[in-house]
Amino acid sequence: MKAYSITHRLIATILLVELLAALCISGAALVYERHVRFRSFDVMLRGRADSLLGAVQDAEDTQDNVMLDGTEVNLPAEDIYQVQDAGGRILGHSANWIGPSTDLLTAKPGKMQRVSVRGKHYRVLRIEGLRIVDPGDKGGGIPRRVTIFYGSPIDHVWGEIWEAVGFYATTSLSLLAISGLLIFWVLNKGLAPLRELAAEASGVSVDSWDFAPPHRARMIKELAPLTVALETVLGGLEQSFLQQRRFVSDAAHELKTAVAVLKSSLQLLTLKQRTAIEYERGIERSQLDCQRMEETVAKMLTLARVEANSVPTTVATDLTDVLRQVSQQFESMAELKRLQMVVLAEGPVMVDIEPEQLQLLCGNLLLNALQHSPAGSAIRAVVQQDGTQVELAIEDGGEGIAAQDLPHVFDRFYRGDPSRSRNTGGTGLGLAICKAIASRGQGSIDIASDLGIGTRVTVRFPVSALPSASIKVAVRN
Amino acid sequence: MRVLVVEDEVRLAENVASALREGPNFAVDCAEDGLTGLDLAENRCYDLIILDLMLPGLDGPALLKNMRSHGDRTPVLILTAKSEASSIIALLNAGADDYLTKPFDLGELIARAKALIRRGKGVADPILRLSDLQVNTVEQSVRRAGRLVDLSPTEYRILEYLIHRPRVIVSKRELLEHLYDYNWEHHSNVIEAHISNLRRKLEAATQQPSIETLRGRGYRLLMGFEDGR
Repeated sequence: MKAYSITHRLIATILLVELLAALCISGAALVYERHVRFRSFDVMLRGRADSLLGAVQDAEDTQDNVMLDGTEVNLPAEDIYQVQDAGGRILGHSANWIGPSTDLLTAKPGKMQRVSVRGKHYRVLRIEGLRIVDPGDKGGGIPRRVTIFYGSPIDHVWGEIWEAVGFYATTSLSLLAISGLLIFWVLNKGLAPLRELAAEASGVSVDSWDFAPPHRARMIKELAPLTVALETVLGGLEQSFLQQRRFVSDAAHELKTAVAVLKSSLQLLTLKQRTAIEYERGIERSQLDCQRMEETVAKMLTLARVEANSVPTTVATDLTDVLRQVSQQFESMAELKRLQMVVLAEGPVMVDIEPEQLQLLCGNLLLNALQHSPAGSAIRAVVQQDGTQVELAIEDGGEGIAAQDLPHVFDRFYRGDPSRSRNTGGTGLGLAICKAIASRGQGSIDIASDLGIGTRVTVRFPVSALPSASIKVAVRN
Repeated sequence: MRVLVVEDEVRLAENVASALREGPNFAVDCAEDGLTGLDLAENRCYDLIILDLMLPGLDGPALLKNMRSHGDRTPVLILTAKSEASSIIALLNAGADDYLTKPFDLGELIARAKALIRRGKGVADPILRLSDLQVNTVEQSVRRAGRLVDLSPTEYRILEYLIHRPRVIVSKRELLEHLYDYNWEHHSNVIEAHISNLRRKLEAATQQPSIETLRGRGYRLLMGFEDGR
């Protein structure tokens, strides 16, 4: 679709409407002026015709005829007239007229007719008059009927009408031009905040997320929703972009370090001639380094997958069932470390997370607890439902986490105590994955720890309102 | 020479330490976090500090600033996974002497370490000369009056340290601190035997005295004094 300007369209529409209005006004003016002017013209015409009737006198002859007394006639020179009696005898006529046409002769009295004489247009009136000859005689005198045709040129009347119409038309057209300019100016001024908003928005890039919408844009009713929407969208985008960038940067750092370890392990072997046993050990170590790198990559992908999945889940999963399944997987490991694992979970308790992710969450938390617990201690995993809230708490009696590390344990790649992470092969991603899964289920995750006493991780979820999914999923690992 | 490696990635620290011990025969200490690193650096017995940027406790730049603000002039080689120019500029401006981006080449690390130590001692030429004594730090070979002197690794390290500080009395403690890692005190008794062997080997070639023992004060190379005496 072709790009178009709302301003131009709006102005064009308004001008078109105004033009139509101007045409209507001019048309109405034409009708009105014509009516008014011709009415007064007709009154004048009648008056003149009547005065012509007054000039019809007794001819003073034997037949008692009538005649037109030229001396009594005082009429404008451009007018035309003819007076005739009932017998059709012409009593008199104006010098510039040779007489009426047959149309006119047969026309009804009082009726106006249009007549053209030598290129000039006239409006002609026919009236019937009665002249009483010798009204003083007995019997009231002799009535003589006369017919008068009287016309006056109308060209100047039309000229006046057109003049008036022209006045109205020019006035409305100039108003149209003025209002067009005014609308353009007002629209231009009115749309300035929109342009400012656009300029501000176009300044946003991946390197500069500063978006300060002009104050005016916020004050305009029509623009305020757009401004707010832009702010919200940009805020969200910035957040997720920065998160992605941080993730990429963190991931790059981790991978570079992992590669550095592997590379240095291999180069160390080539520094000098070594015995077969030394080579063997070196290769074994390199393989362990590789394995750690693999774990890091796998966890990074898991985290990226959990975080990238923004579509709300459509299935609900039984937390107690998943917790029992996962704890069974760790039973042999707990036995090996002589740890007591207590699972208190009365089900079903449904939460809005995919079963695989819930397994990952429970698995990570239990594994952390197992890895950091001294032999002979106990691990408790408890699921409690309180109204619409579900709480999963996993407690261990391990070495605990230092207070300065606690706020950061959910950060990606954060490893409080490096020696500890070395022992357990930690990638610094386990708890970050847990947090991402908890957020996905609209839940929260908290950690409390006392050095030397133990750690308690609490995950809270709202109870699901969704239909339950099949929880018989294949147990991985 | 003694090097401190501050790196939280333990496997990397192990490999770097092994390479520095095996290659140029350095004594190496490792620290896994910034605070331990700072504690160790404060002893001022290192000829080079290899510092990772991202450290728990106290991060690399903070450690570096702390060291420099207390007048520590030990050369510092930074290991970083960031390769952006801005972060490297910031590091060098904070007092670092050189940097390597991960993953790095161990050979390059060793070469840079040697160069930084040399520069730290005010020397540019990797072949150190003092009168008729010549120590090639690349080949780790020693010649006196043009004749090759065959030294054990420890003897070489002692001579290398002494030749970096010509005409100066180097105390036994200083020598121990710079030649051995944190358990240097265990080597206290053997140092005299090493010095004695070194002296014998150096003098075998020319019959000229080589190392002077100043009782209770330390050791000093005698080469370079001929003109002044």
